[in-house]
Amino acid sequence: MKALLEKLHIKEVNIGACAGADAWYEDAEGPELVSYNPTTGEALAKVIQATEKTCNQVVSQALEAFKSWRMIPAPKRGLVVRDLGEALRDFKEPLGELVTLEMGKIKAEGVGEVQEMIDICDFAVGLSRQLYGLTIQSERLQHRMFEQWHPLGIVGVITAFNFPVAVWSWNAAIASVCGDTVLWKPSSETPLTSIAVQHIANRVMADHGIKGIFNLVVGEGSVVGERMINDKLIPLISFTGSTEMGKRVSEAVVRHFGRSILELGGNNAIIVAEDADLEMAVRTIIFGAVGTAGQRCTTTRRIIIHKSIAPELTERIINSYKQVPIGDPMDEGILMGPLVNKAAVEDMMAALDKAKEQGGKLLYGGKRLPDKGERFVEPTVVKMPAQTEIVHLETFAPILYLLEYEDIEEAIQIHNEVPQGLSSAIFTTNLLKAEKFLSHEGSDCGIANVNIGTSGAEIGGAFGGEKETGGGRESGSDAWKGYMRRQTNTINWSKELPLAQGIKFGD
Amino acid sequence: MSKEITLDTPIEELVKEHPEAVGFLARHKVRCIRCGEPLWLTVGELLNEEGVENHQFLIDELKRYLNTKKSPDP
Repeated sequence: MKALLEKLHIKEVNIGACAGADAWYEDAEGPELVSYNPTTGEALAKVIQATEKTCNQVVSQALEAFKSWRMIPAPKRGLVVRDLGEALRDFKEPLGELVTLEMGKIKAEGVGEVQEMIDICDFAVGLSRQLYGLTIQSERLQHRMFEQWHPLGIVGVITAFNFPVAVWSWNAAIASVCGDTVLWKPSSETPLTSIAVQHIANRVMADHGIKGIFNLVVGEGSVVGERMINDKLIPLISFTGSTEMGKRVSEAVVRHFGRSILELGGNNAIIVAEDADLEMAVRTIIFGAVGTAGQRCTTTRRIIIHKSIAPELTERIINSYKQVPIGDPMDEGILMGPLVNKAAVEDMMAALDKAKEQGGKLLYGGKRLPDKGERFVEPTVVKMPAQTEIVHLETFAPILYLLEYEDIEEAIQIHNEVPQGLSSAIFTTNLLKAEKFLSHEGSDCGIANVNIGTSGAEIGGAFGGEKETGGGRESGSDAWKGYMRRQTNTINWSKELPLAQGIKFGD
Repeated sequence: MSKEITLDTPIEELVKEHPEAVGFLARHKVRCIRCGEPLWLTVGELLNEEGVENHQFLIDELKRYLNTKKSPDP
């Protein structure tokens, strides 16, 4: 462990506010944060958290850097992101291992997350030459109308523990090629991965003779987070977290007429039709429900099964659950590690109590696994008589609710009934059902898949959801537009002054 | 030694110092963590948001519960 931390420049005590290689800001009054390994409960290292004073110092640097960064041609900004991607390739294994060590997802997923960072850097480099604006036909003679996209300023990025590095990179790679600077507040559960990333970003910035493009403030949400969302010098906040916190973020940002990109809760379901390939469906369900110990925004939380296949599919799911190897996520072959902390275990147990109160029948799991560690639990399957109150809530744990339906209309109705709208899927070999699910009267989610599960999105698509998921889009497609401001320009190259709509004014 | 729980205690601190409080409060329809992260509220603000009428009664009950569940590390 020590060698891994050293490789990533993590010390016993680290500073939590930074704007570049020679710009670490420490305030003696900064509260100390200890990062724990959720697998063993062992303390990994400490961080001196950012305070109001050090936040101000970092914001000043980011603002100063923005003034020159915005004027660098986007393809040249792309070269910095290209080098960031290269540096991440160099650190792929150790950084992925640190993700595993600090938040508990299995090593394959930890390393996969760093690959996602590399992928989005590659995407952003290409994007840096494609920040296109439209040319629009003017109704006036000898006039040219077009759109330009300009950088916004400092983009505040607030991330959650479950994807401690990938979500930062979705935002940072895109925002930086767009000409913005980035201020990152990571989860207090995963401060060390953010410091490791900051060291990597610092090296790249130093190679290019710049600082203040990628900036970090580790600190409590009620201190650092609140400061960020209420700062009118930060015109955009990209927030990943709960619906409840998203409301708070959105309200604060709107008060100073800022913008927010919200990626909030999910309550993702897979509809399994009577004609589905059950082998494929079961493999997908296990990956979606058990992967990252049920702590992804896109975790599969509900299975809506056609009545005629419910007994068979249920049996297959339970048989697969019995074979899930649970243990140290660093070990080969393990598929499920611990929950992130003891509070998450308590939350899961309380949710299961409620599910049982509401008529749920526990089909598998539901217990703590103290022999493995205080944060280990069994992945759990609960058959619900209906979509009760607890099923409408997102519990960040490996609980899978099974529900049944009789026809596709009912399946879609059950599917769309929950307040969240992030990711969704149908397993079917029937083209009509698949198309119905993807149609205007089908899934109401931001992501809708056929014969693929709810999690494991590629970076090339826009990621985000509808309803209480917040409506924001990050990562690929044209999500970059959220990180820029649109300007409509009209140039009159005539010697007349015609008004739009043919209006005559004082002629 | 952990600080006394009051209406002004940040939920982030409560969750870190007393993880068992999360289960107790959730069973009383007060959810401290969402998407695995603590809310950026104080205990009093959260109880208000969840429509709890007698704040002090619930805090006293919570303290009594926690006294029966001591835990070695956060």
